[in-house]
Amino acid sequence: MNRFLRWLGIAVVIFIAAPLVIVVPMSFSNARSLQFPPPGYWLGYYQAYFTDWSWLRPTWNSILIATATTVLTMALVVPATFALVRHRFRGKGIADVMMLMPLAVPHIVMAVGYYSYFGAFGIVHTHLGVVLAHTCLSVPIAFLVLSANLKGFDRTLERAALSLGASPARTFIHITLPILRPGLIISALFAFIQSFDETVVAIFISGRDAETLPRKMFDSIRQEADPVIAVISTLLFAAVIVGVTAPLVVARIRSRRSRLAAA
Amino acid sequence: MYKGYAMGNGIAKLTERKNLWPWLLLAPLAIYMAVFFLVPLIDVAIMSVTEPRPTLANYQRVLTGSLYLRVFLNTFMTAIMVTFACLLVGYPLAYLMASSKPRTATLILLLVTMSFWTSFLVRTYAWMVLLGTNGPIIWLLQSLGVQQPPQLLFTRFSSTLAMVHILAPYMVMNIYSVMRKIDPVLIRSAESLGAKGLALFRHVYLPLTAPGIANGSVLVLVICLGFYVTPVLLGSPREQMVAGLIGNQIDEFLAFGMGSAMAMVLLVVTLVILTIYHRRFGLDKLWG
Repeated sequence: MNRFLRWLGIAVVIFIAAPLVIVVPMSFSNARSLQFPPPGYWLGYYQAYFTDWSWLRPTWNSILIATATTVLTMALVVPATFALVRHRFRGKGIADVMMLMPLAVPHIVMAVGYYSYFGAFGIVHTHLGVVLAHTCLSVPIAFLVLSANLKGFDRTLERAALSLGASPARTFIHITLPILRPGLIISALFAFIQSFDETVVAIFISGRDAETLPRKMFDSIRQEADPVIAVISTLLFAAVIVGVTAPLVVARIRSRRSRLAAA
Repeated sequence: MYKGYAMGNGIAKLTERKNLWPWLLLAPLAIYMAVFFLVPLIDVAIMSVTEPRPTLANYQRVLTGSLYLRVFLNTFMTAIMVTFACLLVGYPLAYLMASSKPRTATLILLLVTMSFWTSFLVRTYAWMVLLGTNGPIIWLLQSLGVQQPPQLLFTRFSSTLAMVHILAPYMVMNIYSVMRKIDPVLIRSAESLGAKGLALFRHVYLPLTAPGIANGSVLVLVICLGFYVTPVLLGSPREQMVAGLIGNQIDEFLAFGMGSAMAMVLLVVTLVILTIYHRRFGLDKLWG
């Protein structure tokens, strides 16, 4: 039984890894259409991506929209998380549900709603519209990360500062925020990624003017896969590799350094 | 500074007495979510009964028209199949992680995490390469002597396979997080009492991992029911899923009424599944 599950597990590792790895050689391929293994290799499609405004503009739009979404999300979520984690009040249960609701509603449903609702305000196909929509979708993720951090917060540190005469504002700035910083960074990062990756709502409301990278990729894959897709896929995958391994590398360097210090 | 202290204290006292402080902190977000999340959602509900005329005709068509019923049934069957396949794929992988040395387990976890964070679009595109007419799988079939390899891309098979690949990380992570916490003493004592092989698995290991299976399955099922990107890009145009059909209504036919009615049915089904789950396990555990 054990053996059987293990072999199955190894097969699954290949199943998970193969599609991720395959986009890398594809990005160096010189074929015009999908072909694997590639008939030859060149960097032409990288050049195409970095010189073609029809790809660079959506990339820039996505960075802009994701940055604005992150700022807005954090401005709303940070105070609200303090309220929901540290206080008991009437209506708290409803507020908790409201925070998580966007996770439960399929994005296609929200896309229909935003298309009509933002259309009425004339902000469909604008950066503003996409930011407003993406913020709603980022709120629950930022909240989950931050509230988990805040629940584990040792409040005696704050009480100590207060009892030593620090004002509540000073305590917040010098004690609460620095301790909470990793949680804040991760929660902002998740909000950013959520917006940068969001596809369905962007397809329907970003239009030509505020076209995001996922929308451009979707259209391009739909119209028989522009080879530049492989380049972007490789770049996005590379970003994921860096993002996922960086914390491990940092942790290893730190532990080695502390071991050296101890020796 | 002292002034600040007195003032801060004053505000704190004032707000604490009336318990206004949490409300002040929560208000911006609550208003934002009401205006930019709830209202658009309610808009969908309103459009479903007012577009193009204020009747229930849209729902009548969605719930009795054979085309729509077939799409809903197709979506549901696909979602169940994907969930089941994710379980078949995810369980052994989680087991491999839980039973390997820490180093191997970390490597596999790294791989699963990478897959999880890689955009749906990138993974969908990768399957397009793998299953394409000039792709490695067709090539393999041909070199194995299959004269007329079947059409793999743009079929129900390709979209289902890609969705399993895309959603498997959700399943693996949920099951692994439960497996990791299983006390090995339980397994050893079961073994010492004579349980082995399949019996050990069925009566001891499987029940212990059930919460992870439930979490992962609900998450995969719910995401799959509303999946838009992959079925639209990889699936057969003749066998659409609900999300794709809703999209068509909006961007091709501008039929907001029909699109909204289908969206409401999808929403209700999703919320019913999540509510049942919430009653039994608590929703906060699902995404936590």
